[in-house]
Formats: sequence, C-alpha cells, structure tokens
Amino acid sequence: MFKVRKVLTKLVIATTAISLLAICPAQAASNLPKRIISLSPSATEILYAIGSGKQVIAVDDLSNYPKETPMTKLSAFNPNVEALLNYKPDLIILNADATKALEVKAALEKLKITVFLEKAPSNLREAYLEITALGRATGKLTGAQNTISEMKSKISAAIRTGKTSKRITFFHELDDTLYTATSDTFIGKVYKDFNLVNVADPAATADSAGYPQLQSEYVIKANPKIIFLSDAQYGESLATLTKRAGWNGISAVKSKNVVALPEDIPSRWGPRLVDFYEFIANAIAKVK
Amino acid sequence: MKKLKSKGEESLLAPIWNWKITALSAALLFFVGILAISFGPVSLGFQEIIRTLFGLPGGLTGQDRTLLIDLRLPRALLAALVGAALATSGAVYQTVFRNPLADPYLLGAAAGAGLGATIAITSAGADLYSLLPIFSFFGAISAVLVSFFISGKFFAEPNSLLLSGIAVGSFATAVQTYLQQRNSSSLRPVYSWILGELTVANWQIVTWSSIYILIALIILFTVSKQLDGLMLTDEEAYSLGINPNKLRVIAVVAATLATATAVSASGLIGFVGIVVPHLVRGITHRVTNRGLLTIALAGATFLVLADLGARTLLSPAELPIGVITAFVGAPFFLVVLRKKRLVSQ
Amino acid sequence: MINISDLTVRIGQRDILSDINIEIEDGKWTCLVGPNGAGKTTLLKSLLGSMPYSGSITDSGVEVFRNHDRNVAFVPQQPQIPIGMSVSEYVMLGRSKRDGWGNESNQSRNLVADILKLTGLFGMQRQFVSQLSGGEMQRALIARALVQEPTLILLDEPTSALDLHHQIAVLNNIELLKERGVTIISTMHDITLAAMYAEKIVVMQEGKVLLHGTSDFVIHSPELKSAFENRINVYTLDSGRPVIVANKDLTS
Repeated sequence: MFKVRKVLTKLVIATTAISLLAICPAQAASNLPKRIISLSPSATEILYAIGSGKQVIAVDDLSNYPKETPMTKLSAFNPNVEALLNYKPDLIILNADATKALEVKAALEKLKITVFLEKAPSNLREAYLEITALGRATGKLTGAQNTISEMKSKISAAIRTGKTSKRITFFHELDDTLYTATSDTFIGKVYKDFNLVNVADPAATADSAGYPQLQSEYVIKANPKIIFLSDAQYGESLATLTKRAGWNGISAVKSKNVVALPEDIPSRWGPRLVDFYEFIANAIAKVK
Repeated sequence: MKKLKSKGEESLLAPIWNWKITALSAALLFFVGILAISFGPVSLGFQEIIRTLFGLPGGLTGQDRTLLIDLRLPRALLAALVGAALATSGAVYQTVFRNPLADPYLLGAAAGAGLGATIAITSAGADLYSLLPIFSFFGAISAVLVSFFISGKFFAEPNSLLLSGIAVGSFATAVQTYLQQRNSSSLRPVYSWILGELTVANWQIVTWSSIYILIALIILFTVSKQLDGLMLTDEEAYSLGINPNKLRVIAVVAATLATATAVSASGLIGFVGIVVPHLVRGITHRVTNRGLLTIALAGATFLVLADLGARTLLSPAELPIGVITAFVGAPFFLVVLRKKRLVSQ
Repeated sequence: MINISDLTVRIGQRDILSDINIEIEDGKWTCLVGPNGAGKTTLLKSLLGSMPYSGSITDSGVEVFRNHDRNVAFVPQQPQIPIGMSVSEYVMLGRSKRDGWGNESNQSRNLVADILKLTGLFGMQRQFVSQLSGGEMQRALIARALVQEPTLILLDEPTSALDLHHQIAVLNNIELLKERGVTIISTMHDITLAAMYAEKIVVMQEGKVLLHGTSDFVIHSPELKSAFENRINVYTLDSGRPVIVANKDLTS
C-alpha cells in the first residue's frame, strides 16, 4: 500500500515538474545563475536576504554584510574586467555609478557574461522594484517578494510609531565638513516619511544635486532638535560636536539628541533600510 | 655612436644619428607589446597568442579569444598610441620652447582638457558622459588656441606663448574647481579621470584616436629634421633656411593634436612627456630631433609597460596609470639628469 | 653689391630705421658703428631678410625679404645655446643650408673637421656647447658660419663679451672669410677695432645713417664725433693706426 503511495507521489511530482518545465522552459536552466559576483554592497545584502546567497561566489571589498559574504579585493567602483573573468562568473551585478560602468558592461557582455546594472534607487518604490528585479535575475522571485513584504510591514510599523505631528527639525551630517542630504535624496525621503523637517532643504541650490554643503553658522541658526551622525564611524560623536565653536548652543546638542548612525546603515538601501527606519523612530521617541 | 669612428680617420666625425637605434626601439616595442597582452589575471599562453594574432590554427577560442582580441589588444594598442603621442609632443615642446622641463600639457592643454571633462561630467544627463572624450579634446585644443591669441603680436614667440599658456591653464583650472565644488558628486569621476585610465579600451576608441595621433605624429616626423633649427635664435634659424614662426606653429598644432587626442582617450597621464625624451637623449647622447621617431617608439614601450604594471601589480585592483608613470619616471629621470651633468661625453 | 634705398623699419609706433640709403660692396668688410639704440642690429636683421621693411634692400639685384636663395650666415650677439648638444653637432648645423637639414655628406664632415681645427675647437668637439667659455662659444659661432660657406655674413657685436686676446682671435678668424670672397657686415661697439679690420664704416644714430665711407674717411670726420655727442677723441699711432677713446671731460 505504502509502496504504491510512494510511487504515486513521485509520479505526481515528476509530472508537475515536467509540466512546469514545459510551460516555462527558460525558467529552469538559465534563470538560475550559479556563479554570481556582486559589485554592490546593497545588492549583496539583498541577495542574501532573498535567498540567493548560495549562488554568490564573490563580492566586492565593501560588501561586508552579512558576515558570511565571500569578500574579495574586487573593487565596486573601479571594476577590473579581467579580474572578474578569472572567477568564471555567469552573472555580475555592477553598480551603475562605477567608473566606466557602461564600457565595463559592454566588455563583459562581449565575453558572454550577463551583467545586471544596478542603479541607486531614488525612493522606496524604486528600491522595491530593484529588489524584485534582482529576484528575477537570480531566480529567487518569491524570496524577493517575501523580503519586500517583510520590509514593507516593518517600515510601516516604524513610521506609525515615529511619525510626528510636531515640527521637529533635524540635521543629517554626512561628514565633518558639513555635507548633508536634502529631502530630494533617498535618505532625505526616509526622514520625510516621519514628517521630520530637514534643515538642509532651504539651503538646496540647483546644482548641489541634493547634497549641499552647509556652513557652521547656518546649522547653528537652524537649531535642529535632532542631529543624525552618518560619520559616527569616522569618530564624530556628541563629544566632538560639543567642541565645535557655537555648537553647544544647538538644541540637539543641549538635549543630547545626537544619534550616531551605525556603519553603512544609511548608505545601504537593502533589507537593512528597516534598521534605519527603526533608528529614526527611536530617536524621535526620545524627543517627544 | 658616442665615440669617434676611429678607423684611423680622425677627420670623420661621429654620425649624428644612427638608425639602428630606431630599429632597436621598434623591436623592443613589439616584444614588450606581446609580453603585455599575454599577462594579466587570466593567463594566456604565449604560443597561442602568436597563433591567434597571425590567424594560424591552434589559436585561442571562445572567451579567451574575446579576451585577447577585444580587451587586451585594444588596450595595449591604446597604451602604445598614447605613450607615443605624449612622448613625441613632450620632445617637440621642449625644442620649441627651448626648455628641457616643458611637457605636452604646457600651453594649458591639460587644464583645458580637464575643464572639458568636468563640464561633460557635471552637465545633467548621462548622454554627455559618453561625449566626454569629445569635450576634453575640444577643451585641450581651445585652451591652446586661446594661448596663441593671447600672445598677441608676439604670436608664436616662445616666451610669450609660455606665459599665456600659464594664464590660460590657471583660468581653466579655476573654472574647473568651481564646477567641481558646485557638483560634489563629480569629484570621484573627475579625479579618477585626472589620474589617467586605460581601463576599458575598445576598438572604437583605438580607431579614432589612432587616426588623429598618427596624423599628428607623421606631421612631426616630417618636420623633425628642421625642428633642430628652433633650438637656435630665430635669425640663426632663418639664415639656415627655416621659417621659425611657421615651423613653430606647425609643430605646436601637431603636438597639441596628439596631446588632446591622447588626453581625451585616456585622461591625464603625466611624466611620459618629460621623462621619455630625456631618457632617449640620455641614452643616445644626442639631442637632435631626428630622434623623434625613436622617442615615439620609446614612449609607446614605456606606457605599455606601465599599463602592464597598472593591471598586474595590485591585482585585482587597478593602479591608476599616472601613479606608475610617476613612480617609475621620477627615479629614472633623476639618474639620467645626474649622468648628464657629470659626463661630458 | 647690396643696395639699400629708402629703407624704413617701423616697429609698433616707432621708426627704428628711417630713410636709409647706402650701398655695401661685395667682398669687403663693412662695420656699422654708433651709440646704443642707433638701429644697428635692426639694420643687420633687415639685411638678413627675416624682417619686414618698407623701401628696398636688394642683393645682386634681388629683393632680400624672405629670399631663401641667398646663403647668408647670421651670428647673433647672444645665441641660444642648445642643452646637451656637442660642439661638433652644433657646428655641423651650419651645413644645413647646403646639405639640407638632417643630411651630412662625407664632404661636410670633412669640412667641419677642418674648420674645427682651424678655429682651435677640434679637441673640444665632443664637449657640450653649454660648457664652452665665452671665447670658445664665439669661436664655435664663427666656425658654424664658416662651414656654412656663405656669400654674406652678418655679425652682431662679435667681440663685445670677449677679453682682448679672444677679440683679436675671433676677428682674425672672421678675416679668413674675406679670403673666400665673403661679404662681411658687422656691428661693433669698439670703433678702434672696427677701424683695424673693416674697410668700410657706416655711422648710425637714432635710426639714420650719418655718414659712410672708407674707414680712414669716416674715422677722421666730424660726423663721427657728433654721433657720440663729441665725447670721443681720435688719436693716430705712429704706425698710422687710429685709436678712438672716450673723453671723460665734459668740454670737448
């Protein structure tokens, strides 16, 4: 009896598999690249989140998350075609901002290697679209969709907790020469989701391309209630801000609402975006 | 070539130029070229390369063949062309300006090219990025033209050209810095362009740059013998049958064409234009411009080797080629300078 | 015969030379003298043919401007010294007119060797030109002019930077050219030397020719004194040779 059942089950599975193969023959072999090189830290995080991690054979020297990534000396911003060739990949995820990205892509495609050009998204919607595209490219579409829905729900939750009706001003510091991001940038939009008021916005000019450099006086005058330090990994902290001339009068410094953002979180637009949102929600809670 | 031909005939002076050295440089270039295209992160067999190049059976196939033909070969050729262009222009500028420290970027060509490249990079729209070579080419040419016009009634007079070149260069650099400050996202691409890169050469770049560079070099080789006259005062040159102003214009135009093309294809690669001419002159103990062809060949060899180093030394990362030319060029240069001072033949 | 008629050379707003009318005989040594700014060098450059002028300068009946059919040697007051070039290479440049640039015939090589011996430079032939002393450099310039085998040689202050010993040596070398029938035109500060070597003297002042003629005639003329604002005295040695010295007194 059991034997028949076993045989029947196997038969059903086999038939289903064959019919699936018949319906989408392309899906079976070529949509499952087995030797992926990721030259984009964000894409690396996404690949591991959606389940393609096992197909990744090498990542660039900045792709440090998750811990098990096979990091190499390959450069994300200065891709070396020949070095890539040595790994015998079948799919390369290339950052569109890399030097000579288009020429590198052309050269790789001449060598019959598929290239996925990853463009930095300008908002959440585009980020989700790219995650889906990556899922499709690596044969983990369902994994991608699951990751996206998880991100969506966690981000909504963070926004619900943190969204404020009060006028809370903030300053997002990129480096100690006071480069910042306006609400036109991806980072800026994340803050905007919480209704935070970005002190950089009035300072935006036509050609700062979303990343203007502010003057110290300007920041002091704007008197933000929260300061987010993207350069905490380079040594900036509440202590160093207090030492800056005139900065200990700033509301955020006085009330110690200076948030040291962890390394890489604000610059990766993968699944750890959730962490970014949650960080901001916590910071806002302390101000309320 | 350094010694008197002591065939018992003291009255015969040593020949001014020995064409054997030119032939030797050509052979060296060929050898170095083959070496360069066989090395890399992916190793290709020497014999297979020769067979593939000459269309003999038993050559490379598939990805290896594509690697050789579409990646390594154009890159080596581009390195050779750019090296030849820069070395020759440098030598010509040194003669025209009677200044051993002149380099091909002297008349503001480098600053103009940089400005053109920055304009291309900072202008909105990715399409302009692909036009970067054109922008930097015209930037370089315009800067030199403006230098000529500023020198005014002393048109083509070496010293006034030099001064106008400095003025134009400073202005172009100032504008470029301003643009970069307003568009901070352009900093990295412009910086890496400035350091010089041959990273992805393709046959398209090789084709158009070879046309311009070869035209310029042929012009310069044709007038090379007369260029010696520019080392004298204008009246001396005139008395020996040369029109110094006309010759200077031809020489500078051709040299600028070569430089502008080289720069737009590969960014600003420094040192080649100063070091290689002096290297060749130091080794051959001759300053005559009949050595231009040899200088071109030596420049080509130098840059092909430098590019090989850029690709392999820190593999898989790529060293900017400008760093290699500086690291190698500077010590060599010092050695040659010292030798020249201590030895009077 | 070189014929100069109504020669005016204008540079910028100034007439450097105005209304020059003289004849210069072939095969003789003519010396241009006069105070600084008289236009001597400009006249020399005009005779070369490299400088535009209004009026006419003809050499054997042909206008000299941009006329490359002539074989004229030019020895500048301050030459451009090429770095890294040997003496023999430098002198060999003089053959470019006859051989064409970049070709050295065996005949040329022999000639250069001979001239180097003649001017005492043979032993230094492999030294860099930049290492020569003032006197040696001047000899190298003369040597280069000699190998050019010109019909006319123009020298701008050939002895100004030299000590007495070398001055005489260089002038003697130049005199060799006369044996070959070459016309010599030179500018000189030192009128005594000019009188020693030149057959004809042209006195210039402020772009004009005050006087010209044989050395004897010119040396003893009042125009010579007035060209130098009467600050010179002319003495005659027992041998008959004139000596011109500057006068320190404010009264003549």
